[in-house]
Amino acid sequence: MFGKLSWSAIPFGVPLAMGASLFMIVGILALLAWITLKGHWRYLWDEWFTSVDHKRIGVMYCVLALVMLLRGFSDAIMMRSQQAVAFHAAGYLPPEHYDQIFSAHGTIMIFFVAMTFVIGLMNFVVPLQLGVRDVAFPTLNSVSLWLNAAAILLVNMSLVIGEFGKAGWLSFPPLSELKYSPGVGIDYYLWALQISGIGTLLTGVNFVTTILKIRAPGMTLMRMPIFCWTALASSLLMVAAFPILTATLAMLLLDRYLGFHFFTDTAGGNSMMYMNLIWAWGHPEVYILILPAFGVFSEVISTFSGKPLFGYRSMVIATMAICILSFLVWLHHFFTMGAGADVNAFFGIMSMIIAVPTGVKIFNWLFTLWGGRVRFEVPLLWALGFMITFAIGGMTGVLLAVPPADFVLHNSLFLVAHFHNVVIGGVLFGAFAGYTYWFPKAFGFRLHEGTGKAAFWCWIIGFYVAFVPLYIVGLEGMTRRMQHYDVAEWHPWLLVALAGAVIILCGIGFQIAQLVISIRNREKLRDLSGDPWDGRTLEWITFSPPPAFNFAVMPNVTGAEAYWGIKQKAIQQRRLTDLPDYKAIEMPRNSPTGFITAFFAVVTGFALIWHIWWMVIIGLIGAFATFVGFAWRDRSEYELSAAELGRIDGARRQARIALVEGREKGITPVEYAEPQGHGSHAPGARAEPHGGHAGPASKRIITGYGFWIFLLSDFILFSGFYAAYAVLGHATAGGPAAAKLFDLKILAIETACLLLSSFACGMASIAANVRNMFWTQISYLITGVLGICFIGLEVSEFARMIAIGAGPARSAFLSAFFALVGLHGLHVTLGLLWLGTMMAQTWAKGFRADIMRRALCFALFWHALDIIWVGIFTNVYLLGTSP
Amino acid sequence: MSELETDSVGGGEGADDAAPGEQEAGEHAIAAGVRNYLIGLGLAAVLTVASFWVASGTSLIYPLGVPMALAALAIGQMGVHLAFFLHLTTGPDNTNNALALAFGVLIVGIVIAGSLWIMYHMHMNMMPPSDL
Repeated sequence: MFGKLSWSAIPFGVPLAMGASLFMIVGILALLAWITLKGHWRYLWDEWFTSVDHKRIGVMYCVLALVMLLRGFSDAIMMRSQQAVAFHAAGYLPPEHYDQIFSAHGTIMIFFVAMTFVIGLMNFVVPLQLGVRDVAFPTLNSVSLWLNAAAILLVNMSLVIGEFGKAGWLSFPPLSELKYSPGVGIDYYLWALQISGIGTLLTGVNFVTTILKIRAPGMTLMRMPIFCWTALASSLLMVAAFPILTATLAMLLLDRYLGFHFFTDTAGGNSMMYMNLIWAWGHPEVYILILPAFGVFSEVISTFSGKPLFGYRSMVIATMAICILSFLVWLHHFFTMGAGADVNAFFGIMSMIIAVPTGVKIFNWLFTLWGGRVRFEVPLLWALGFMITFAIGGMTGVLLAVPPADFVLHNSLFLVAHFHNVVIGGVLFGAFAGYTYWFPKAFGFRLHEGTGKAAFWCWIIGFYVAFVPLYIVGLEGMTRRMQHYDVAEWHPWLLVALAGAVIILCGIGFQIAQLVISIRNREKLRDLSGDPWDGRTLEWITFSPPPAFNFAVMPNVTGAEAYWGIKQKAIQQRRLTDLPDYKAIEMPRNSPTGFITAFFAVVTGFALIWHIWWMVIIGLIGAFATFVGFAWRDRSEYELSAAELGRIDGARRQARIALVEGREKGITPVEYAEPQGHGSHAPGARAEPHGGHAGPASKRIITGYGFWIFLLSDFILFSGFYAAYAVLGHATAGGPAAAKLFDLKILAIETACLLLSSFACGMASIAANVRNMFWTQISYLITGVLGICFIGLEVSEFARMIAIGAGPARSAFLSAFFALVGLHGLHVTLGLLWLGTMMAQTWAKGFRADIMRRALCFALFWHALDIIWVGIFTNVYLLGTSP
Repeated sequence: MSELETDSVGGGEGADDAAPGEQEAGEHAIAAGVRNYLIGLGLAAVLTVASFWVASGTSLIYPLGVPMALAALAIGQMGVHLAFFLHLTTGPDNTNNALALAFGVLIVGIVIAGSLWIMYHMHMNMMPPSDL
C-alpha cells in the first residue's frame, strides 16, 4: 500500500536529525498558525499564490532563495564545525550524516539559492526594464515558480521522512546506483531536481521569448539595459543546458527504477558517460548563474557612478561570447578521468579563453567607475567587493584550467575554495547587490543602510577568513568531503575557517536585522519619487512599488538609457512630458494553475520516491486534468479602463513633479544633450521612428516563437539520449546486437504512418486557416489514427524484444535503444493526448484565436516529432541493420 | 485584443516578423498550401525510400560510406520537413526563427560530437576489461 514507506523512515534514533526536523516542523506550524490567526489566507491566496504578476513571482522566488540560504548555510556551518573538531577524533557528525550534509549543501545552494535568487531578480526586473507589462507567458511563469517550490518542499521533506543523497551534489554513479545507494536519498535528489529542472527550463523559454518578442516601442536590442542582455544569455543557456541535465538524471532514474544499464558497472554500462553528460550541463549552469550577476553589477556600477556603462557594445559581445563558449569547456571538470593529452589540451585552452570576455567586463566596470561621481551606497559596496573577490577566484580558475596543475589540485579543498570564491564572490554578492538595489522598487521603501553596510563587511571579511585557509590546506593536500583527518598541519587552518563561517553568520544576522529594522522604519525610508538611486533604466520611471500593469502607457524609447534621457530632458525643461493618451489595456487574470500543478508534482514525486504506484497515477492524472482545465477556461484577461489608468497614473505624475523641479534629494541634473534626431551615433538607432522597433509582437508570434524555443530544448533533450546511444551502442555485453533485433518491414510501416500523419496534420492546419470545421476534424482524426498505429506497432515491437530476452535490462546498448526510441514514443503519446483535447476544444468552442494559437503549436510539435523520427530510423535502425 | 477575436493568420503585427510554422494566407492559400505539403510528402518519401535502399546493402555504395550516406540522407530529409512542413524560410520575417534553430543545432552538434570525441578517447585509454 505505501511502497517502501514505513515508520522506520522517520529518524527517531538520530537526535540531531530529529531535532532539526522538529525545529522545522514547529517553525512551519507556528507560521501557519500565525497566518490563520491573523486571517491572511485569503490575501495570500488571491494576491500571491495565484498571482501571475511577474513582480510578485519574482519576490516569491527571492523569498524562497533567502529561506533556503539559511538552510544551506546551516549545513555549511555544521561541516566547518565538524572539520574543526574532527582532528584525530570522530567529531559529532557520523559519516553517513556528514555525507548527506555536504550533498544537501551543494544541491541546495546551487539549485535553490543561487538559481532561485537569480531567476527571482530576472522575473522582477526584466519586464520593467523592457518597458512592458508582463512576461510572454504569465501563467507558465507561475507554474515555473511553484514547480521550484515543489522541489524545495521535497528536499526539505527528506530531512524528516527518510534521508537525502549521500553521493555529493551531482550524485555520481556508480555510487549513486541502486547497488551502492539502495536508500531513498538519491531518489529524493533526482526527483526534486527533475521537477525544479522543468520549472527552470520553462523560465528559460519564457524569458527568451519575452526579451526577443516583447519590448517597448523603440527598445531595439542594442538599447536594452545590460541586465536584459545577461538575462537573455542566461535564459538561452537554461533552454540549451537544462535538457541535458533532464536527460542525464532520467538515465540514472531508469537505471535505479527499471534496471537499465546506462551507468552501472555491469552489462556494458559506463559511469564516465554520466560525468561527461552532467558536466555538459554543469558548466553552462555556472554561467546561467553568473551572467545575470554581471548584469546586476553593470547596472549598479553605472548608476552609482552617475555615468553610462563604459563599453556597452563590448559588454554585449562579451556576454554573448560567454554564452557560446560556456558550451565548449565542460571537460575541465574531469581532466583526470583519462581522456588524454589531445582532449585535455583543447578543453584547457578553451577554459583559458573563456576568461578573456570576463576580463573585458572587469575593465569595463573599472572604466565606468573612473571619473564618475561615485556614491558608496550598499549595492556599490557589494559590486566593489565582487570585483576584487571575483578577480582572485577567476585567477585560481585559470590555474585550474591548466591540465597538469589540475592533476595536482583536483578534488582538493583548493578546488572547493576556488568555486566558493566565484560563486559567493560572484553570484551571491550579485544577488545581494540586486536585492538591495531593487528592494525599494519592489516594496516602496529602502533597506536600512547601516545594517546593510555591516552585513557587507561581515560577509566579505568572513568569506576571506573562511576560504583562504581552504586554499592553503588544499595546497597541503587535503581532499574535499573529509569527515575526519589526522594531519596536524591542517587543524589550525580549519579552526580559522570555522571562525570565518561564524563571521559570515554575523553577516546573515545583520541582514535579518536589516529587514526587521527597515520594515519598522518604513515610513522614514519611504521612496516617494519611484527613483531612489537616481537611476538610468525604465524600472525607475514608474511607482515604487509598481502597479500591476507597470506602465499606464508603454514608454517610447528613443535611445540607450531610456529613462535617463527622459528624466534629464524633463529636469532641463522643468516640466513633465505631455499628458499621454490613455487607452484601455488587458491584463492576465490570476490563476491557481501553477499552485495546483505543483501540488500534484509533490504528490507524484513523493509517491515515486517511495514506490507508491497508485499515488503516482493519481498525481499524473491530476496534473493532466489541471492542464486541460487551464486550457478550457474562457476568460484569461481582465480589462483596465482608460479612466482608471489615467487616475492611477495621475498620482504618479504628481509624485514626479518634485523630482523634475529639482527638489528631490539625490537627483543630480547633469549637462545633458538629447541625441540628435535619434542620433546616428547612438547604439542601434536608425533614422526611422522607434529606431526600427515597433513594440511587442502579436500574441500569435509570441506563442509560436515560445513554442519553437521549447522545441529546440526538446531536440537537445533527444541529443543527450542520442549521444548515450552513440557511445553505448556497441556495448551489447554478449547479448543480441542491432542487426538481429530490428524488423525493417515494421520500421517501414511505422515511418510511413508517421510521415502520413504529419501530412494529415498539415491538411488540418490548412482547413483550420479557412475555418472549415469538417475537414479540420477529419484531418486531425486521420493524424490521430496514424499516430495510434505508430504507437501500437512500436509497443508490439518492444514487447516482442522483451519477450525474447532483449529487454532494456539486458545490456547498455539495449538500455540506450529503449530509452531513445521510448522517449520518442512518449512524445507521440503525449501528442495524441494533446490532439484529443484540442479536437474536443475546437469542436466545442470553434476557431477562437487562443485555440488557433495552440493549433499552430501542435502542428510544430507533430512535425518536429517526425524530424526526430527521421534521425532515429536512419541512424539507429537502418545504420544498426546495414551490413 | 480580446481572446474572442481572431489573430490575423499569415503575417501578424508588422510584416518583418512571422510565427514559426506560419503559412502563407491569401487568395490561393488552399491550393498553394496543399501543393506545398504534397511536394514535401513526395520528397520525404523519396528520401526515406533512398535511406532504406542504401541500408539494404546495395553494391552501388562503398560499404564504409553507408553511415555517411545515411547521415546525409537524414539531414536532407530533416531539411525537407523544415522547409515544407514547418514552413521555415530564409526570408527576413523568419530570421529570428532560423537563428534560434541555428543555436539549437549548434548545441546538439556540440553535445553529440563532443561526447563521442571525449568518450572515444576515454575508451582508447582504458585498460582492457579483465573478464575478456
